[in-house]
Formats: sequence, structure tokens, C-alpha cells
Amino acid sequence: MNASRDIAESARTPIGVRAAQSRLHLGWLSSSKGLGILFLLPAVVLVVLFFLMPVALTGVFAFTNMTTATGITGGAYQVSPGTLRVLTDRYGMGELAERLGQPTYVVDEQGLAALEEKGIDKNIIDSLRDGLLGKTYASRRELERDIRGLPDRPNTRTVKSISEEFSRSLANARFSSRESLIAAAEAIDPDLTDEEKEALAASTYTGWTWTTENFRRLASSPTTRQVLFNTLFFVAMTLVIFNTGYAMVLAIATHYIPDRPAGIFRIIWFLPRISPVVIYVLLWKWLAWDTGFLSAFLSNFGVRPRNWMLDTAANAWFFVIVINGFVGASMGMVIFASAIKAIPESLFHAASVDGAYRWQQIRHIILPQLKWPILFVTCYQTLSLLTSIDQTLLATNGGPGGATEVWSLWIYHTALNNYAGNLQYGMGAAMALVLVVIGIVLSLIYLRLFNYNALVAKPRIEL
Amino acid sequence: MTKRLLTTTAAIALVSLAGAAAAEEVTIRVWAGGSGPNDNYRVDAIEIAADLLEREAAIRGEDLTINVEKKTDNTWDDFKQAVTLAAEAGNAPHILVTGHEDIAPWAQSGLIVPVEDYLNLDAWPINDIYDNLLEIASFGGVLYGLPQDAESRPFFFWKEHMKAIGYSDEDLEALPDRVESGEYTLDNVLEDAKKMVDQGVVEAGYGFYPRPENGPDYWQFYTSFGGVMEEDGRLVLDKAAMQRFYQFFVDAVEAGVTRKNHIGTPNDQWYSEVASGKAGIWHGGTWHYARYTNQEGLKDFFGNIAFSLIPAGEGGKPNTLTHPLVYVLTDQENDDEEAIAAELIKIASEPRINTLHAVKSAHLGITHQQSNIDLYAGDRWAREATERLLPFANAMPNNTDFGTYWNAMWGGLEASWTGQKTPEQAVSDLEAELTSSLGEAIVIR
Amino acid sequence: MIGHLRTWPIVLALTIVSAPLVLMYVFLFVDTISNAPAGSFIPNEFTLEHWSFLWETRPGRPSIWRVTLNSFLFATSTAALVLVISSMAGYVLSRLNVPGRTYFLAGVMVLHAFPAITLIVAIFLVLQVVGLYNTLIGVILVKAAIDMPLGIWLMKGFYDTVPWEIEMAGIQDGASRFTVWRKLVLPQVKPGIFALGLFAFLLGWGEFILPQVLAPSGNAQVLSVYLAGLIADDNNFDMNMFKSVGLFYMMPVLILFFVFQNRLMNIYGGGSKG
Repeated sequence: MNASRDIAESARTPIGVRAAQSRLHLGWLSSSKGLGILFLLPAVVLVVLFFLMPVALTGVFAFTNMTTATGITGGAYQVSPGTLRVLTDRYGMGELAERLGQPTYVVDEQGLAALEEKGIDKNIIDSLRDGLLGKTYASRRELERDIRGLPDRPNTRTVKSISEEFSRSLANARFSSRESLIAAAEAIDPDLTDEEKEALAASTYTGWTWTTENFRRLASSPTTRQVLFNTLFFVAMTLVIFNTGYAMVLAIATHYIPDRPAGIFRIIWFLPRISPVVIYVLLWKWLAWDTGFLSAFLSNFGVRPRNWMLDTAANAWFFVIVINGFVGASMGMVIFASAIKAIPESLFHAASVDGAYRWQQIRHIILPQLKWPILFVTCYQTLSLLTSIDQTLLATNGGPGGATEVWSLWIYHTALNNYAGNLQYGMGAAMALVLVVIGIVLSLIYLRLFNYNALVAKPRIEL
Repeated sequence: MTKRLLTTTAAIALVSLAGAAAAEEVTIRVWAGGSGPNDNYRVDAIEIAADLLEREAAIRGEDLTINVEKKTDNTWDDFKQAVTLAAEAGNAPHILVTGHEDIAPWAQSGLIVPVEDYLNLDAWPINDIYDNLLEIASFGGVLYGLPQDAESRPFFFWKEHMKAIGYSDEDLEALPDRVESGEYTLDNVLEDAKKMVDQGVVEAGYGFYPRPENGPDYWQFYTSFGGVMEEDGRLVLDKAAMQRFYQFFVDAVEAGVTRKNHIGTPNDQWYSEVASGKAGIWHGGTWHYARYTNQEGLKDFFGNIAFSLIPAGEGGKPNTLTHPLVYVLTDQENDDEEAIAAELIKIASEPRINTLHAVKSAHLGITHQQSNIDLYAGDRWAREATERLLPFANAMPNNTDFGTYWNAMWGGLEASWTGQKTPEQAVSDLEAELTSSLGEAIVIR
Repeated sequence: MIGHLRTWPIVLALTIVSAPLVLMYVFLFVDTISNAPAGSFIPNEFTLEHWSFLWETRPGRPSIWRVTLNSFLFATSTAALVLVISSMAGYVLSRLNVPGRTYFLAGVMVLHAFPAITLIVAIFLVLQVVGLYNTLIGVILVKAAIDMPLGIWLMKGFYDTVPWEIEMAGIQDGASRFTVWRKLVLPQVKPGIFALGLFAFLLGWGEFILPQVLAPSGNAQVLSVYLAGLIADDNNFDMNMFKSVGLFYMMPVLILFFVFQNRLMNIYGGGSKG
């Protein structure tokens, strides 16, 4: 993929063979427009589904407080001690909370009528009426004990079915809609004000709500600064040292040695890129861990065996950069090598006739030719590095102590996978939105730099 | 004659049809997290329960067939992710074995339903389960799950190394009581560990060898320094206690008894090292007994290891944490299946069945009567650990926001331990983060 | 080239820096068929025991063959999907005068550069709601979508090298553009299709983070996730066994790479200046 500026695609006049007549009766498959749209359709569908929509959704979810506790598709209204506390503290309606929230079970006619409707056995209902009418209980368990004490002792499922009809409070109740919540609340206390209804609904809602909290938290959290620094450090070091620097070294070095060894080295350095990432990192662990090769080898020289990868933050960074760098260098190596190959040999011969040493050749012939490839690799790989996650996740998982936690890994830990199990989707989306924005901005800059217009030659068949 | 034959045939056909109609076949799926090879009875108990339930149904004249599909996961994070997502997709298994701390967020999101909705709590064996365990399995006063196992987390001492630094056999006998009375504190732990390292009894970094990854255990140290996790339904951050807690590990690193990069040591390496006497003092869980004696090949547990409560630190008390796992029921479309699943977990909590798990995996029992079952009573570890540890055990709170607190606490500990931040800085960052993410749900003092 | 006599210092230097890599890969092979005494790395016996996973299934884990089949299905399906879509879309962007063509091309370039992994949270939530979470189909679609911009870009490059004359001749002979594409142009880019298919297959075979997030367990598990789970499980630390599974996993990659290395390493060149 050479720099577009090197391509001189002159516009040629389109040959409109039988253009006039053809344009009149072209079927779908014959016209460029029709065929074009047909051919682009699947790609467009995928792009919309998996790029545009997720970008939009990331933006949307970033403004919610979605977590595993709130669930994704809406929520219910649950009266629990926590929500009663919120009602008391945040809305100042402690009295309401007590009135509605204290578990109360009353055996009354209303409940008995409901049982009849449910189809409970008449005998049971009668014995309930005879034995327990008018009694109040502070817990479901006590009521059920008395129900079980009745002569025709119902089975557990029936007992449960009966006891639920006598609940006269909202305690531990779960409602699937606001209406049912308010209806139940009004059944207990018909004089609820609108304000009280609002407060009740707001404090018991279990689903997610819209909020800008995520960004406020991002802006104020000290972890953000640390992770941002980690990410920039990682990108800069890997890019400069390996993806461009070392790649250049490899490309130039393999240029100056005979083809056979050059080919072998190129293959060796391509291995990290084509190896499945799980194995590639496993090999590094084999090399660097306490029980690994380095420790065993160096112990022969009296060096204490240690976990070379995780021992200190510096160690971890070294390995993270090297592991990612080796993979990155291969792409640069291939691109730079083909760019060097494109340099006419005559230039080299001329230089050697002039007595130029190899180093001068490199400086004056090769490097200038690599300007555009270097720029291309830098732009492209900056984005890849900004978002790279696989290798770091498998190698250090952000350790030790969060020292190598980069932005994409932070998203993963927040929203997709962590120890205590509460995944914060909204927060993760907000963090991802930052990356999305950066990604779009950088992609556009990259586009600008490489003047895509030159690549888009006008088609030569105008149908 | 023909008429009678016809009516008889019709009658038989009707009865068999009715019988066939009453024939029920259900498939119940059960998943257990954090379960290794010793923990298979977590899910196998459901199979045993299914067999019993089928027999009871047969006696009642019903035709019930229950197919149990079991799955265990060795990890927690992957397991919890899989569960929450399966639930969102409507595919959650009927029964889950998970830590009790999941009850709060999963109840809120409607993932689980209270077992109290399906079970008579006065019936056997629920009426024999320890009250504090039932408490831990409840949320908002409603019983959401049935305790599946109990455990607690002791401090371990390698006897040989303790003797090498001057403890006699009697001293070691008396040690657990000294810890319990608060006489032997965490400062003493550091002292003894340092002696071991200085005298070359153990290598540097192996004097005090804590667990190398995040876990409920670390809350014990917070409690040791006087911290409280929850009060009146609200989480509590006691800054001074947290800072002393972080400082303890920094001191351990400084004294050379614990490595700075200890966290992240592979677990298998850790287990094999503590079970073979490479470390001097460490902490773990009651199930370690099974791990050391089964997988790690430790022949004489009691001869080599002494155990006690977690010693007190400045401003706190000796304690241990119990992290019971619970059976919970997920919300399913088919109510009948939920009812059957509820019955299954009730039967699986039978003392005899639960003892199979308790003894094989070296966890502790959940019912009073288990101490009367020979398999359990005859197990020295089960007896001693129950006596010495359970009475002092507290548990993590069932609170939807606890997970956030926990993750943040661990982040601060890791940062202090590895020297990225000072304990003071870590605590102040912790405060900032918790205020901003939990707001009024946490009290900071 | 120049100064053959003085290439040996460079070769030496390259050998030294390549040593760790070579070491790692050599031992990958060696450790899977041998045992070494504790503390040493020199093998002292030949054994096939580390390959027992091929015929024994560990309790609580899916069979290695099931998982391999999943990986294979995943890789071939994504490759096929990418190929079909890219060969069509690439042709349009290279040869057809569709309105808004420049925008499509710019769009492809942006997408090509844009790292789709940032969208993983939203994609994961979408798949869940749609019910494709933890299914192979879901991951296949996502992976195909992610590889598609690269595929279109590469195919466009290959199409750019096909001389216009061929198509013009076809049109002059009265064929529809579709037929021209199918019968005349496609055969010309066969090497490109082959290279892209191969490349896409390898990308799919090695993919880890997508299946880990979107299809982590049960019937949809792929080999990369299986291996990662094996390594993370603390009940069975056995580096040699990990390497055996790893080598088993990597075998197709190695074979394909060594046989077709030229085509693969030149893929960025698009086989042309384009």
C-alpha cells in the first residue's frame, strides 16, 4: 500500500461504447448503478448493523447508569429496604415509607373474596373465615403457620397462594409497571398525593435512567488520569520503538543480506503476527514467569528467580511493550521492505560508485523513500495501539496493581468482566465513547493526510 | 360380555390416558460457580434430590421424571458474566450456586426469585439450618436463597517454622486462644514472619504469604483494624481502619516478609507452596484442608499446620469471614419448573446430602443436625474448624452497591501494596471514587 | 547486492535479536513431546502424554474436538462471508460508477482505520437483546463485519490491477456488467480472492477477544477461549499440556503460513501499486 501520491492516475476519457442506446434499456445487472447498489447492499447492511448502530448506541448508553443490577431492557418497581431508605432520605417521606413498607398481612373479607375467585377449595376458605378472620400478622411466615394449622392442611403451593392475597403492604413487592405500583399503593392508602406517587415510583424503579453521572465520574476520578497516561505512554513507546523504529531496522537489515537469510528472518518476525494471540502470550509467559526459562537460565548465574513480567511496574511495561511491539513490527517490516525493494538498483550502484558507505546509503537513499510508508504506518498503527487489548489482557491483565491498565482494558474490566460481578455497562459505554470519538477524529486526519481523491480514479466505463 | 369388555377397555384407556396426562417430565439446569474438582456435590446433590423427589411423587401416584443438567465453572468472573447474560437472554438455568453477595443485585434486577415464595420455611430441613446462615441468605427480610455451604477463613501457621523461631508445642497449642483473646495481634504476625526470614527458616517474601488474588478474605483485615462494612443498610467506609489495613501490607513488604509483586502469583503455585511448608504464615479458607490433603499431597495436616482466627490489628478485633454459597432460583417462565427446582434445593439441603459436600470439599455444615452425622462428626477438621471459627464469623453484606465498594477497595489495596500509591493517597482516592460512584449509599467516616 | 562479504555482522546481529523468538517457538515444539526434570529445560525423555487431551476429555470442559470444530466453523464462515461481501463491494468501488462512490470509499477507509473493538460494549448489548449472545452465528456476523473493511480495501486493490480492456471487450460483446464481472473479472483476481480468503481464515482462527466476550462458553466456545480458560484454571498448571493444546491449535496456521507465505506477506501490497 504505497503512498497515494506516488500514483499518477491520469484521467482518461471514458469509452462510451454504445453508451447512448445502452443507457436506455439497461437491466439491473447491466447498469453500473444497479449492479453497484446490489453489490454494495450486503456491505452496507453490515456496516449499519455493526458500525453505525453500535456507535449510536454507545453514545446513547453512555448517558445511562445501566449495570447488571438495573438490567438492560427496562426495569420493574421493587419495594425493598434500600428503596424505602431512599424514599426516606432523598425524598424526606419517611412516614410514607413506614406506612407502605411495613409488612402487614390481614385476613379480611377482601382477601377471602379474592381466594374464591382464584378457585381455592371452599372448605379451606370457610375454615379461614371461621378461624382467622380479622387477625393481623407482621410477617408472611406467621400467617402461613396459622394457615397450616387449619384442619384441612393445604399443601405448600396452596398456602403460598393463599398468603399472598392477604398482603396489605407493599413490602418486598415487585411490580412490572408504574400503574400497578400506584394502584397497589392506593389500595392501601387512598390519599396519596401526586408528589408522593412520583417519589414512590422514582425510588422503587430498578431499571436504568438517563444521567450524565458517567462523564462527571470520569472527569473527577484519579484513575482516569492514570489510565490515560498509561495509554499514551504505551502507544508512544510501542509505536516509536517497535512499530516504526524496529520495523525500519528489520527492513533495512534484511535488505542488505542475501535473500535466503533475509527470507528466514522475515518469516521469524512474521510469526508473532500470525500466531494465535493466546499461544503467543503463553510463550512469553513461559519465558518470563517465576518458573520460566529466564528464571531457570539466570539462576545458573545466581540471579534470584522471579516473575520477570510482573515483578515491578517497569518490568510489566517492558514486557507489554515488547509483546505488542513484536507483533506491530511485522507489519512495518513488510511495508518498508517492499518500499525499499521499489527503489531502483541504479541508485544504489551510483552511490557505491561514489564511494558511499552503507550508512550514507541508508541516510540518503533509503530513508527519504520511506517517508510516506512511515507516515502511513504511524497513522494506522496509532489507532490500532490505542485500542489494543488482547495481548495486554492475556499477559498482565492490567497488573501489577493497575500499572499497565490501558484505556481499552479499563473498559473491559468495568463493563464486561470483573471479580465482584457488577458490570457497569453505562460507564463502560461512556469510556468507549471517548475512544470512539478519538477514533473518528484520527481516522479523518488520516484520510486528509493521504488525499484519498487520488486513489479514486473515475471509472472508465460509463454505463 | 362384549359391552363389558368394551367398557373395561375404555376404562383402562381412560385411566392410562389420565396416567399419561399426569406424566410430567422436566429438565432442571443447575450451574455452580467457583467450583473445583472437590466441589462436585454442589450440583450432584441436585441429582440426588431429583431421585428422591421422583420417588416421593411415585408414591403419591404421580409420574414425574426430572432430568438434571449440571455445569460447574472454576472461576467467578466468567461465571457471573455468563449467568447475567444468559438471564438477559431468557436462558438462565433454574438453579444457581453462587456467593450470597449476588443476592442483592440479582434480586433487584429480577434475575432471582425468593425461595420463600415456594418453600415452607418451617419444614425440614430448612428449620434446622443455622439462623445466621439464613440471615445471610436473606434480603430485605425475605429468604432469597438456601445456604449451600458454610466456611470460614483461618490464619495458618506452619508448625515446624514456628518451632524454629522459638515456639514450643505448648505455645503452639495455646496460640489459637491467644489470637482469640486479642493477645496475639497482626503486629506479632509481622514480627514472627520477620524472624523466620531473618533466620533463614523461610526465603524472603515467604514469611507472610497471603492469598495472591482478590477475594472476600481481604475484608477480614479491614475488620481486624476496626472497620465495619455495613450499618443499618448503608455501606460504611472507615478511612482510618482502611488506611491501617493498607499500611499493614506495605509494612509486610518493607519488612521483607511479603513480596511487593505477590498479587498475581499463579494460584496453583501458591497452593503447592503453602502446602509444602515453603511459607511461614498465611491465610486461607476451611476448604484448603481438602486441597492440601487431596491435590497437594500433604499427609499430616494437623501435625504440620496450626490454625486460628484472623488476629486483631490496632483498633479492631480478631475475626473471620464466612462466605457462604447459596442455592438461588432464577425467574423462569414456567412456574411449575420453579416449584420443582425449589423442592430440589430444599431436599439437597438435607443434612446427610449436604454432609457429602461438606466433608469432600472441606467446607462446613449448614444445619445443626450435621454434627450428629458420623461422616461429619468423625471429621476432625470439620469439628475443630466449626468450633474455633464459626462463632466469630461475620459476612459481607447483601447490598446492591457492595460490588462497587469491593472492586474499589481492592484497587486501593493493590496500588498500596505494589507501591504505586501510599496508603494515605490510596484511601483518599478511594474516598473520592466511592463518593462519586455511590453517593449517599455509603457513609464515610 | 552490495558488499556481500560484510553481511555476516548483520546476520549475526539479527540472529541475536531473533534468538528469544526462535527459542520460544522451538521450545513450543520440543516441550509438547518431552519431559524435563524439575528446574531444568533440557528434556530428558520423549513422551506423548501431553497429547492425552486428544482422546480424554477433562471433566467439566467441552471436548477438544467440539471446540476445534467451532473454531473451524467460525473461521471458514467469517472468511466466506468476508470474501463474498468484499469481492462484490470491492468491485463497485474499483470499477462501477455509483453515485456517492467517493463517500463509500472514504467510508471504507475510515472503517478500515477505525478499531471496531471500541464498539464491543454496544455490540455485546445488542447481541444480547437480539438473542444471539453466546451463539456462533452472532460472533461470525460481528467478526465478518469487523474484517469487512479490510477485505473491501484489499479486493479493491486487486481489482485495480485488472486491465480495463478486458471489461471493455466483454461489454462490446454484449454481456451485462454482472456477467462481465462473474466471467471475466473474477478469474483475474483469483489470487487476490485466495489470499484474502486465507488471510480472513487465519484472522478468524486466531481471534480471541470477540469470542471471549460474545460467546464464552458452552456449545459456542472456540479453541482460543478454551485454551485461555485452561491456562487460567488454577487446578491444573501444566505448561507442557498448555503447549500441546496450543500447538494443536496453531498447527493449521503454521501449515498454511509456510505453504502460502508469499501470498500472505504480500497481501498489504495488494499485488499491485494500488
